[in-house]
Amino acid sequence: MLMMTRRAGQKIVLGDDITIEVVEVAGNTVRLGVTAPRSVPVYREEIWTAVRAENEAAAAATQLPEPPAPGPQRAA
Amino acid sequence: MTQTLKSTRFGDVELADEAIVDFPSGLIGLQGRRYALLPHGKDGVFVWLHSMDDPDLALPLTKPWSFFPRYEVELSDSEAERIGVSDPSEAEVFVTVRAAEEAENFSANLRAPIIISGGRGFQVINDADDAPVRAPLFAQPVG
Repeated sequence: MLMMTRRAGQKIVLGDDITIEVVEVAGNTVRLGVTAPRSVPVYREEIWTAVRAENEAAAAATQLPEPPAPGPQRAA
Repeated sequence: MTQTLKSTRFGDVELADEAIVDFPSGLIGLQGRRYALLPHGKDGVFVWLHSMDDPDLALPLTKPWSFFPRYEVELSDSEAERIGVSDPSEAEVFVTVRAAEEAENFSANLRAPIIISGGRGFQVINDADDAPVRAPLFAQPVG
């Protein structure tokens, strides 16, 4: 892993069109500003990891209920 | 005019070109950007989002509001700008389904819905407060 030391107000540049700025450092919290092309999605890592896991779990399905069980709108 | 979707689950499926959805950013953590929606069963509760390029890659989806009537999708400005859809109600909204042996263990990912509009699809991060990644589909939490 590439390691760099940056201070508040300093940036790193990824490729030609992605910039990450250290906006503020307060205690153990770092506030970052990301500038990237509109087409590049930016995620918090823990959300990206959780969604990837759900996508992979969903893709493991080979069959579904037939007929599917009704949802909560079913009359009692 | 038509393309053949090859599927390890369903065999060869002929699809009109218009049925193919382009995901410019793919699905989060999964490969490929060309997918098609295949209906599942007669009642249309579930659909399969099937890769056009990987015969083994398909995810069951459902429309969230039949299970979660109060579900809301809130997009950040940057996310709305990225997908070119500011009002999700103007697009088709699906959520991925995690299947299980028992119906009560089925869940849906309300945090990362799939929004399809004009032949393009995006998996987005929903900023709404009540949007777990694993919301039970058939056993609603009490309270």
